[in-house]
Amino acid sequence: MSWVKSACVGFVRACVVTAVSMLVPAVWAAAVTVAIWWAGNPWSWIPLVVLAGVGTLALSRPVCQMVRSLVAKWTSTVIPAGYLEVGPVTQMSTGYWWNGTSYSRTSKEAREDQEVRLRFKDPANWRDLRFIAIAPFTAGLVAAIPPAGVVAAVLGFSQSVPLVGVLGLVVAIGSAPYAWRPIEPVAVRFLRPSAAMALADRVDELTAQRADTTVAQAAEIRRIERDLHDGAQARLVVLGLSLATAEKLMETDPAQARALLRDARVGAATSLTELRELVRGINPPVLNERGLVDAVRALAMDSPLETAVSAEVELRLDPPIESALYFGIAELLTNAIKHAHASRAQISIARDDTAIVVEIEDNGRGGAEVNAEGGLAGLRRRLAVFDGTLDLTSPAGGPTRARMTVPCE
Amino acid sequence: MRIVVAEDLYLLRDGMVRLIEAYGHEVVATATTGPETLAALLKWRPDVAVIDVRMPPTQSDEGLKAALAARLEVPGLPVLILSQHVEQLYARELLANGASGIGYLLKESVFDADQFVDALERVAAGGTAMDPAVITKLMSSGSSNRRLEKLTERELSVLSLMAEGLSNQAIGQRLFLSDSAISKYTTSLFGKLGITDDDSSNRRVLAVLTYLGLTGS
Repeated sequence: MSWVKSACVGFVRACVVTAVSMLVPAVWAAAVTVAIWWAGNPWSWIPLVVLAGVGTLALSRPVCQMVRSLVAKWTSTVIPAGYLEVGPVTQMSTGYWWNGTSYSRTSKEAREDQEVRLRFKDPANWRDLRFIAIAPFTAGLVAAIPPAGVVAAVLGFSQSVPLVGVLGLVVAIGSAPYAWRPIEPVAVRFLRPSAAMALADRVDELTAQRADTTVAQAAEIRRIERDLHDGAQARLVVLGLSLATAEKLMETDPAQARALLRDARVGAATSLTELRELVRGINPPVLNERGLVDAVRALAMDSPLETAVSAEVELRLDPPIESALYFGIAELLTNAIKHAHASRAQISIARDDTAIVVEIEDNGRGGAEVNAEGGLAGLRRRLAVFDGTLDLTSPAGGPTRARMTVPCE
Repeated sequence: MRIVVAEDLYLLRDGMVRLIEAYGHEVVATATTGPETLAALLKWRPDVAVIDVRMPPTQSDEGLKAALAARLEVPGLPVLILSQHVEQLYARELLANGASGIGYLLKESVFDADQFVDALERVAAGGTAMDPAVITKLMSSGSSNRRLEKLTERELSVLSLMAEGLSNQAIGQRLFLSDSAISKYTTSLFGKLGITDDDSSNRRVLAVLTYLGLTGS
């Protein structure tokens, strides 16, 4: 059954690949047909050139984008497009518009000028054209085998040449599961951005991450400073005052002095509690003492959710990664309680050859989304510092499944 | 009592030794690292040991490890663990091999010298001393939440004091209630939870902790 299914799926995919890669050759064929139609006319080459040229240029980008999305959908190989982005257009004090290379009278002109320049400057466009020229003779040709077989079979049976018909059918069925596959290596080889482009993208990404990290760090330091200032520091001042007063009253009013001393002791205990909470928020002591797995176990025990933790016992990672994952888990558990109203959660921590994978599932009402300013986006940014990712599936009605992956060797 | 004190911070160690001696007990040895602690425990076999969780050389849970190792060697060796923070996780590990002679308290419990020495004596006598913070966390964690729904507020506070290791009399003093009122509460809450009441305070603590899922079984 599974073979029949893969043959059917393969046949449809082969037809799609054939259609997409043969689109531009079809335009050329149409152009040649028009030229032959007007064979006697000495100017017949003009519509040929116009039709073929305009058609090729106009179709190259949509066809390549379609190939990228098909490959991503079928094989989950993501080929980044790497087109140059249109930059911002700004109005200068003179009233003219500047698009980064030249001035124009209106913003529309400036933008159009920029787009035309980009068309010729962008190496991605030349890469697309190269792919358009190569695809029909490689992936397109191979993908055409199953539909061609079917055509041969139909012709063979209808013209009563059964041998050709049977042969066509065998070829079509036999090649169906495989014929669409060459599109992936061909697309990867000819559509992938150059190393320089990939590097430039990576630099942009890292610059953004660095800015995020700096901002987050500064905010965190401000929070700690505020907590210390309003909490422990203020309490210690009060403590000192109470002790000073008690010292003064010791001779004249011992009962009052004793009461003050008792207050001082309570104050010291309270500041210790506050400091402990603060420390837990910066770097939980149990994480330091025992590492991620036991720290998460401790977290699960303290959580009002009924939480089960399954993990490899021997697992020590770099402290920054452990900390990021720990606070990620803490945040996801908090969300499960606060937003999803869950009563149970399950945490699994596992490590495969390339990455550490943490999965959290709750029995809440779901509907979680990653908003630009929300906590989950912040979590995603903190993981991105380690090239980590956060995947979330949370249909309305639940359950919510979150998966954090951080690569490590 | 003969007591071993293991604490790496000089001021705290010194303060604790003075406090213990002020109450008429004898500090037979002090230790400042994990290995030293283990050696002192095995050499002196004290009536009770006061041990800090975090000590050199690794500044992780050296003290806890030494206490657990010593109790494996000498079952039931009374230890009172002190820490800047309390974790249910550590409490479970300590209680895994029997709850007799176990104490687990926050460091600031030494602020109240009477209660601290009382806890020390209780542990030395084979009893239990759990920090209120551990018990609070325990009673608010997911699995116990539903089990404790049936109890009234007063019964809950009696139960948490009992889990700390206090006797009926001590609970009465804390809550400003008479002994007979406390025993009425304990009877009713044990009835609701389906645990058999027992006069020996240690077995009572064990029953409570087991019920709350803190000890293995």
